Amino acid sequence: MTTLNFMVGQEQGNVPVTVLRVEGDIDAATHKSLHDKAAEVIEAGSTHILLDLGGVNYMGSAGFRAIHAISNMLNDGDTPGTMKSAHLKLLNPTDAVARVIKTLGFDVYLDIYQDRGEAINSF
Amino acid sequence: MDTSLASTKTRIATLRKCKFLQGLKDSVLSDLAAKAEILSIDGGTKIITRGEDGSNMYFIISGSARVHHGEVVLANIGTGDVFGEMAVLDSEKRSASVTAENSTLLLVIERDMFYESLSTDPNAFKAVIHGVLQRGRGIIREVKTRSTKLMAYEKEMEIGRQIQAGFLPKSLPVLENWELAASFVAAREVAGDFYDVFKLNNLPLLGIVIGDVCDKGVGAALFMTLFRSLIRASSLYGNVYSGLVDAEPGDASITADEVLQNSLLTTNRYIATTHAGSSMFASVFFGLLDTESGELHYVNAGHESPIIFRQNGETELLDITGGVIGLFPAAQYAVKTVTLNNGDLIFAYTDGVNEAKNLQGDQFGESRIMEATDPRDISPDNFLSIILDAIYEFRGAAEQSDDITMLALKYRLQTSTA
Repeated sequence: MTTLNFMVGQEQGNVPVTVLRVEGDIDAATHKSLHDKAAEVIEAGSTHILLDLGGVNYMGSAGFRAIHAISNMLNDGDTPGTMKSAHLKLLNPTDAVARVIKTLGFDVYLDIYQDRGEAINSF
Repeated sequence: MDTSLASTKTRIATLRKCKFLQGLKDSVLSDLAAKAEILSIDGGTKIITRGEDGSNMYFIISGSARVHHGEVVLANIGTGDVFGEMAVLDSEKRSASVTAENSTLLLVIERDMFYESLSTDPNAFKAVIHGVLQRGRGIIREVKTRSTKLMAYEKEMEIGRQIQAGFLPKSLPVLENWELAASFVAAREVAGDFYDVFKLNNLPLLGIVIGDVCDKGVGAALFMTLFRSLIRASSLYGNVYSGLVDAEPGDASITADEVLQNSLLTTNRYIATTHAGSSMFASVFFGLLDTESGELHYVNAGHESPIIFRQNGETELLDITGGVIGLFPAAQYAVKTVTLNNGDLIFAYTDGVNEAKNLQGDQFGESRIMEATDPRDISPDNFLSIILDAIYEFRGAAEQSDDITMLALKYRLQTSTA
């Protein structure tokens, strides 16, 4: 698959949360479209994004670079007292993607949830 | 004939623009213009498809189109250009696809009609042959120019590769009681693997670094030189100035853990802030070995777990103690310690080893490293050769897609002969 499909949902937790569901492989050919989609929802006013990776079977380093860029766009930077992003969290990665997240230690930088409701209320 | 879309004058003018028809007499061009059909198509319409048979050649009256192989665009063409003539002249399959970019008006001539018109003038074939050959010579000149440019570019890439290779250690430190080996096999495409081995000033510590910068190409190579230099410089010279750890100049009490922490924090913070916009990261294993006690202090920042092969046949993995470096300025890295005993071998590597693929797409994997050989009776150098052979054998005819970088270190206490 050379393109990504997106679904954007607006949810109300403690703060408004944009749930961005991605479907497809996030690689060198597709990472830009993820970046651009996130830029679009941030431009539209989103300040908290839950990235739903349930439809992503492969994520290469380009995908992790895109996730970092999204976290930067949300103006995370150096959150005092914690390494983890307060504005970007991940939902329900597939086994293959979860393995790469663990190898690269990305779970050190981003909270990962299996349950959508719990994830939304964590912001 | 229907002249509603293009007048006879426009048709003849269009044909006249075409170089390989330029030697034809007016009477032949008029005959061709009369036999031609006019095709009006919308932007996005595929006019011819690579690999298919075709008997029509097309002259663009107005509009534009792209000549392409799938996604790769070979040429952009417009008013006055011709396409599809090669398959008409040599009856071979279409050599490329052509898709209209916008509303395009085409003059279409079918093969039999083309030859029929030419046969009205004895000199017409000569003129067309001349025109086709002229075009051929033009293409050869263009290819020559491009290949000269490409050769210059490849030479530059080769120089870049050599500079990059110069960032790897030229030789390895010679140590009492320790045997050391390193291997680096570059992939055809430039990648971002690196390793480093160095002694620390005034401390009985040996620095061992192996890393992999994300992605491939020139960007990865540039960042590789940055990561590698920052790690070494901050380990050797940076402790006093960074303020990240508390130490005085010449302070011999600084610990291995402090050197590691300082180096990783400095490198990460520098790249994550100075180069925040590039989102480039590296996975790094950085160990400081106390060559007297065998204690190995290490940080594993998102890297493949190095393997310790113990003298008693057991294996241990040095799993991650933090995430990849270069992205998040506030990142912290835990230091862990493991002790190597006489006869133990530690093997560190990049994903070019475990992710080496065969033609079926299977990966070499960690288990094949573990099972390749019994490392207890062989030198680190031998061990790396055996692993490399195992990768080559597993990979078969498949291409090497990533750098293969490996380090092995073995504790071998000299037995006293006194």
